[in-house]
Amino acid sequence: MGKIVRKIRPTNYWRIGEHESWFSDMSLQGLHLHKMGTNLAHFKKGDPKRIEYRIEVTGKKLITYEQIDLYEENGWEYVTSYQWFHVFSSPAEKNAPEIHTDPAEQAFTLQRLYKKLVFNLVWVSLGVALILGMLLAMWFLDGTPVLRLVEGYVVQQSTITILYIYYVINAVKAMLAIKELKKSLNEGKAINHHAPWKKSLRKNGVLTVVFIGIILVCGLIMPFYQLKKMDTFTLPKNDENLPFVRSADIEQNPQLNRDEYYTDEFGWANRYSTNWSIFAPVQFETDEMWLEESETYSPSVSSEIYNLTFQAFAKPLLSDLMEWHTYGDERESFIERKHPDFDHLVTREDEEWKQLVASKGKVVMYIRYYGYADLDVVVENAAQKIVLLAES
Amino acid sequence: MSYNGGPMTEAMYYVLLALMRPNHGYQLMQSITEVSKGRLKMGPGTLYGVLSRMQKDGLIVLSKDDGRRKIYEITEDGEHALRNEYARLKSLISDSSILEEGNDG
Repeated sequence: MGKIVRKIRPTNYWRIGEHESWFSDMSLQGLHLHKMGTNLAHFKKGDPKRIEYRIEVTGKKLITYEQIDLYEENGWEYVTSYQWFHVFSSPAEKNAPEIHTDPAEQAFTLQRLYKKLVFNLVWVSLGVALILGMLLAMWFLDGTPVLRLVEGYVVQQSTITILYIYYVINAVKAMLAIKELKKSLNEGKAINHHAPWKKSLRKNGVLTVVFIGIILVCGLIMPFYQLKKMDTFTLPKNDENLPFVRSADIEQNPQLNRDEYYTDEFGWANRYSTNWSIFAPVQFETDEMWLEESETYSPSVSSEIYNLTFQAFAKPLLSDLMEWHTYGDERESFIERKHPDFDHLVTREDEEWKQLVASKGKVVMYIRYYGYADLDVVVENAAQKIVLLAES
Repeated sequence: MSYNGGPMTEAMYYVLLALMRPNHGYQLMQSITEVSKGRLKMGPGTLYGVLSRMQKDGLIVLSKDDGRRKIYEITEDGEHALRNEYARLKSLISDSSILEEGNDG
């Protein structure tokens, strides 16, 4: 038994002539086709030999014994099959009669394959349309596409769709190629059994590298990097360097203490989380809930901070944050204010609830405060904190 | 693509002609070469394609199927189609008599 050598097919599966010529060229190097997979061909190592190969297309995936027998009686050995393609070989010195002597008759053998490829294309397109629809919903259903972009989760899934689209393009190419081949056979032009395949190899090689690159970066590296950067911590009691507004800063009330009621591993009522994406490499989210000793007053602060890659996203993100954190027509009660420490500042007050959305440079901040303190106290605290990131 | 009674391909015509005597695949190729006096050498792929298509169209049938050797036979429809085509070809020849005259002169 000879050694098995595996090689990636150099050209698209529907290019019949190029495959026949590739198999022949490999045999000249002593690699004789043994099996053919989706992407890999298995060759058996042996003596270099001049061997002709012919690929037969059938309507069903199986080829009949009768057909194989008929070809073998005429000097063509059956080698292997892949999908609807069946490979026969014959040593050149044997001078076996050509399998197809009438191109127009051979065109009939492609009829069923062509119909299958059209059918396949329809299904693949429907599938991709469904995926695209789902992605569009993920981006736009809440009306906050910039927030989705900045958070980063949907971005990676979206880039992966490039691969689905590539699959559709391939299905179209296969269909058109078989249609074209049928037409040229009908015009009496036989398949070129020694079609050059090296040009296809270079083209396919570059495409493969590009797509493996996309899968690696978008499917593996970016999600893993984001996972690594995502973390949750319990808020430390005193840390002036954390760039977000703390309950203690707003309240200034020694009677207040952390609400320990929700405490578990991190203390969900007193924690901050970090996140990363290409469009906002620094992100924080905080939740803080305090309780007065008498247990009648329990103020809370939640905030989100984004340090963006591009300042151009700051304004649209402000708008998306207002949309995301309000219900119904609440959004209309946001008031735009001028403040020397912010590029933009919008606030909203609804009894004890105070909301603030602000930006400075590439930093965007959202705060929701519930408590008795004045909105202006929240604004001043936000102004102090936003410079920590904006000027770093 | 079923046969609609129009002009036949050369491959179809000769396969039907050769099947006036029931025969199996490999033998059939040789009798086609014989009957065409060596002019037509039909490849096994072309023959197989013509056989399976004409079988679907009901122009030929399998008369005996003992596993691997299949014997084909022409049907009544097949013979009818063959004779029609023969008549068409004959009128083609007689219409071309002008060419013969040209040769004489």
